[in-house]
Amino acid sequence: MATLRLERPGPGGRAGLVIIMAFALVALAVSTGLYPADAAVATGSGQWEPASGRHWFGTNRLGQDIFARAIVGAATAFKVGMTVTLLSLLLGAFFGVVAGWRPGGWLDALVVWLMGVLDAIPFYLFAAALAFALGGGEAAMYTAMVLTFWTATARLVRAEVMRLRQLDYVASARAIGVAGPLIAVRHLLPNCRHLLLVQAALTFVAAIKTEVILSFLGIGMRDGVSWGLMLSESTQDVLAGHFGNFLAASALMFVLLLGFNLLADALQQPNPDSAKAMVGA
Amino acid sequence: MTRLLPLLLLLTACSDPGAGPSDDAVTYVHAMDGAPASLDPAQASSVYASFLVVNLYDTLYRYKYLARPYELTPNLAAAMPEVSADGLTLTIRLKPGVRYIDDPAFAGGRGREVTAADVVYSLLRHFDPASRAQGAWLWQGRIEGIDEWKAAGADYDNPVAGLQALDTHTVQIRLTRPYPQFVHTLAQAYSAVVPREAVERYGRELGSRAVGSGPFMLRSFDSARAVMDRNPAFRREPFDLAREGYDAGSQSQYELETLEGRAPPFVDRLEVEFIAEDAARWNAFRGGQVDFIKVPAAQFDQVLAQREPPRATPELAAEYHLSAERESGFVYTNFDMSNPAIGHHPDPERAQRNRALRCAIVNGFDWEARNNRFYSGIGKVFPGVIPPTTPEYVEDAGSDYIQRDVEAARTLLSEHGWNADNLPVLEYGYPASVTEQQMFEQFRSFMADIGYPRERIRPLSFATFGDYFGAYSRGEVMLITSSWTMDYPDAENVMQLFYGPNAAPGSNSASYHNPQYDALYDRAAPMAPSPQRTASFQAMNRMIMDDCASITGLARTLVFMWNRDARMLPDRSFTGGFFLRFVDKAGRDG
Repeated sequence: MATLRLERPGPGGRAGLVIIMAFALVALAVSTGLYPADAAVATGSGQWEPASGRHWFGTNRLGQDIFARAIVGAATAFKVGMTVTLLSLLLGAFFGVVAGWRPGGWLDALVVWLMGVLDAIPFYLFAAALAFALGGGEAAMYTAMVLTFWTATARLVRAEVMRLRQLDYVASARAIGVAGPLIAVRHLLPNCRHLLLVQAALTFVAAIKTEVILSFLGIGMRDGVSWGLMLSESTQDVLAGHFGNFLAASALMFVLLLGFNLLADALQQPNPDSAKAMVGA
Repeated sequence: MTRLLPLLLLLTACSDPGAGPSDDAVTYVHAMDGAPASLDPAQASSVYASFLVVNLYDTLYRYKYLARPYELTPNLAAAMPEVSADGLTLTIRLKPGVRYIDDPAFAGGRGREVTAADVVYSLLRHFDPASRAQGAWLWQGRIEGIDEWKAAGADYDNPVAGLQALDTHTVQIRLTRPYPQFVHTLAQAYSAVVPREAVERYGRELGSRAVGSGPFMLRSFDSARAVMDRNPAFRREPFDLAREGYDAGSQSQYELETLEGRAPPFVDRLEVEFIAEDAARWNAFRGGQVDFIKVPAAQFDQVLAQREPPRATPELAAEYHLSAERESGFVYTNFDMSNPAIGHHPDPERAQRNRALRCAIVNGFDWEARNNRFYSGIGKVFPGVIPPTTPEYVEDAGSDYIQRDVEAARTLLSEHGWNADNLPVLEYGYPASVTEQQMFEQFRSFMADIGYPRERIRPLSFATFGDYFGAYSRGEVMLITSSWTMDYPDAENVMQLFYGPNAAPGSNSASYHNPQYDALYDRAAPMAPSPQRTASFQAMNRMIMDDCASITGLARTLVFMWNRDARMLPDRSFTGGFFLRFVDKAGRDG
């Protein structure tokens, strides 16, 4: 069995980790007030000022500092990514285990049918329709994402559980009368962690991208600062010949997503040390 | 040759002599920032629908092309109405020989003459629940017997006492009370004349086709564009510069003199592109795909070399004409006066505190910053609700109302016991858009300056304007950001916005109720424009400001640009689409 490379990731994985840690620190600074969020909403400067030592990416239409908004936007992205990833992983793992534990049973059929229905609808269309139906805003956006993201995790976990339940140690646990939920918590889920970690990285990326798209469309974040709102603002700015919003939001989003992609790639590589150990054995 | 014969026959069969102008036809392409939902005059509730409807159908009256202030002139009517001494009976004669376009709806497919019965039918449609028409508010309770006709089942065979066709070409209308603005309503797209045969044959489909007698005939219509061909049977009425209100001093640069004596419409084909996205519309204009654009406000800095009066940069001026027009309307933010947290309150003391709170918000609002950030500083900020384009407007109606005074706002709040802990949570409504969201952000920063905590001012955005309209009509929005485009050039149209009986879901979205105001309105509204009426309107304007019922207002300046080979003076006020019949292109001269 391939093990994770978290202990000794390759250069790509290390770069990814550094990037993510840097953004995590920024998010922490904003959420704890170390970085003043007020800087992102202050409207005191001139309209569409060019980049300068005072305003690294210039100002927007309201005279707000674009760099400050991009930094606060990073915190928003992290908050959305963390929340959606956590909730959709919990849902996905739960339904994956439930469905995979008794393949072919009515519960499995129901979960597979539900996943099939949800996956059959084009994702962004579904997310937008759900967000719209729920009245828009942050809560609707979170709900839309969680309800659509959990299925990918559930499919992977279900397949893995179906494989694991055939193994001797699970059969032994069942033979000595260990309850199903206990087997799931003690034996199945820990052995799905490699899948969950990779899936977490991918979900995090998808959540950030989706937040940006939904906010851009006007059905995501409505109050506060986000990269999606900045990109949405840039549609007006670009017309007036100002690119600060577009550059700042795009650049930071690119770097953060690059970090997660590098990490996800690294997590999906088999650990060479483990592989050698297995060959040696 | 024998083998080619079938092919030639096929090609001949495919060619339709009535299919429209040839490739060398003179075509004018207009751009609009929105699309009409329907082309049925009964549904012409938007400026986009009105633009097309008045070109496909006839209204009895229209506005003179070049006269400012606006003046009515006969269109389908032969003359201005004959009005009885008491002002209650209007007799209108139609031009004889005006015909609808040919259409299968008519017997033999040939368009018949437009008659007085069609005018009666077209107005009655607004009171027929089956038509789901939207224009009834213009005539409700104003025409004798029309509401009773609706209540009795809206049977078109039942006569209406106050709306009758006396003969083929004469309509007589009896009003229940004097209504000086009535003739203006007959220039609106809602009043466009439709043939009953077409309504009965096409039903809802009339929203995507047109059977009218206007200067153009619809060729195609979808969510991206409308294509119209010149109506070859349109009555020939030579263009008369003087009669249209031409002013050589301000309009000579548009080369309109060349139109004199010619019969509109002047172009063979009229295309209207619906391009909602500002950047796409601007690129289409600069790329030559469209001849005209209403310049997006974000573009003003790039387009204008001078703001007062607006003038294009030399590079753009070499390619395009530019004109600027102050809108007949204004933008404002109403307080929901029916909400006891901020509006009217049965307890006089609390009512007084609420008034102080509203006045503090008005004092804290920075109109200059709003104008500079969102309207490039060329909008006109004015106190109250009587906009600068109306004769009743006075410059010094109360400049203190639009002058920001943060200290006064803070003092008002503290004197009336308001502080950061007990200020009510304000819900600021708007239809979701980048600009509206930024305006909310700006409002919140204004309020922060007077001590209103940020977390107590919350956005309440709605996916569509329809959702937003529904919410504030139900009294679910505390701060209602809105704009009003006047239906006709008469200040009565804005005074009714605060008339008690028009409270939400009516046009009085603030649900403002002031018995003195209502009494003055009842007295002044039926009056013809006069110094006495002006004095009443100005007193009412002052009441709105004294009660701090609205944060108002700003009249936007609209900037238009069009290709130099198009001879025209565009207009967006009221049913501004009338000007399209007078558009000409230099290509016509060859």
